[in-house]
Amino acid sequence: MTRAWAAFVALLDRKESGTAMAIVRVVLGACVLRTVLAVWWAGAVPLVWYDIADGGHRALPGSYLIRWLGGPSAALTDALLWGSVIGGSLVAAGVGGVVGSRVITFATLQVFQGLVDSNGQAGGSYDLLINNMLWLQVLMGPTGTLSLECRLRTGRWTSDTPVAFWPRLLVVYQAVLMYTTTGLQKLSIHWIPGGDLAALYYILQQPTWQHFDHTWIAPYYRLTQLGTLVTWLWEVGGPLWLASFLRSLGYLQRWTWLWPVRPLFIAVGLFFHLCVAMLMDIGPFTWASLSVYAAFVHPWEWERALGVGAGVAPVTRGSAPHPAPPP
Amino acid sequence: MLLHVIAITTLAFPAPAGGLDRRTWREPTVQGELQGWRELLASVGWEMDQKTFEDGLYDLASRTMAVREAAIAPMKPYLMYCGAWQSWRMFVAPHMNPARLQVAVGDEDGWHVVFEERSDEYTWRRYMFEQDRMRSAIFRYSWPNYRSGYHDLAEWIARQAAVDFPDATRVRVRFHKVETRSPEAVLAGEEADGKWVQSWERTLAELRTPEVAP
Repeated sequence: MTRAWAAFVALLDRKESGTAMAIVRVVLGACVLRTVLAVWWAGAVPLVWYDIADGGHRALPGSYLIRWLGGPSAALTDALLWGSVIGGSLVAAGVGGVVGSRVITFATLQVFQGLVDSNGQAGGSYDLLINNMLWLQVLMGPTGTLSLECRLRTGRWTSDTPVAFWPRLLVVYQAVLMYTTTGLQKLSIHWIPGGDLAALYYILQQPTWQHFDHTWIAPYYRLTQLGTLVTWLWEVGGPLWLASFLRSLGYLQRWTWLWPVRPLFIAVGLFFHLCVAMLMDIGPFTWASLSVYAAFVHPWEWERALGVGAGVAPVTRGSAPHPAPPP
Repeated sequence: MLLHVIAITTLAFPAPAGGLDRRTWREPTVQGELQGWRELLASVGWEMDQKTFEDGLYDLASRTMAVREAAIAPMKPYLMYCGAWQSWRMFVAPHMNPARLQVAVGDEDGWHVVFEERSDEYTWRRYMFEQDRMRSAIFRYSWPNYRSGYHDLAEWIARQAAVDFPDATRVRVRFHKVETRSPEAVLAGEEADGKWVQSWERTLAELRTPEVAP
């Protein structure tokens, strides 16, 4: 028990380059921009987020921030909208130091949440995912690389400045929690093994979420059944993903069978989300989800793939220091 | 960090949140699910009639939600104010009887369809109604527990139609509900059976501002 606790503490003490979390941050900021500006671009801001007194379609209960600021009004909604745009831009750019970046990200979280919660019927799980990721970026603080702050500080866009590992672990945990619990709640007789596995076929026929008509899929029904089974197993198998992630950091080495799980789950997840993006129109969920995948890839793996930074993994598990950058 | 993990895990734990409105249980999609589970349980020797099954399920769901509410109560402020709220009930079941919104305006010649969801022919204010967030809202409005939102939307549509169609005297908003065809039915070329539901109408005259006499 003591050894397990010591290993856990050592895990949380780890330092690493901020490349993976910086990529999460950039995509996250872009998601905030995309989801807010898409409503503005469609001219749907009054319909979606204004109270009926200001030209909206229903009397909005308002988010806690809106209630706190005196109740819904068009001016307040506009302020939250443009505050989200500015905040999302600053988060993506990565500005502010240890305190400033947290203040900016927390303010972005509050205005974005205040806006989208003002009409909870016109939104989806993508709002929750973006909120959660913003909060984890608040806990993270500056990522130290791929940011304007890095450029101003070092004269370069990238840096090997070590940052805490535990915020990335929280992002990974959040993703695993999301996939696992959504899988466990897919209790429809059309989802579970033993049923007809027709869920994906019928979901793709729902006009609300279609890019275009999908009756062409009927001859490939068997493939959609396979897709249903793989999706369900992949989601409820989320804890294996977490275990294999820890194994790739030097833990759980006795469980040798876990080694291919992380790349397998990433590959299935990317394939799944890209298929969803091609076949379905579900707003920014695909891109918000893909932002968390960046955290499953270790910083040194990103650095090797992108040809930036040191690209060197810590040599031992636990509290091994991040290697110093080459002179 | 540990408190964060405990809080989000407790809230995300599977629960029938949003499923305790028994009006929605009368919908064909939900009835199909309940029937499927009753048959599955019967196949392993646990037979019961529909009322016993549904009452028992409702009782179990209510108790689960009561325990969940008590468990998350102390953590609610943190979860709400820090954006850590969890609710991952995504596509938990396919909707077997999906609905399409249709808007029509009327004059002395009859009804003229001006908008139909996912149509390239009837596209009035499509850019608004088919924005991601409004599709999400309209999807909800076809369910009985969101009827007040549906009527609010219909009133909003009437106000816009009164301006955009000055010759129209009436507006009608309704859903076309169609049972999704099985793969076999699609391959056999069978047509889908649909019906119009939640039809809502009103006259437009009182929504127009009267012209001021010179």
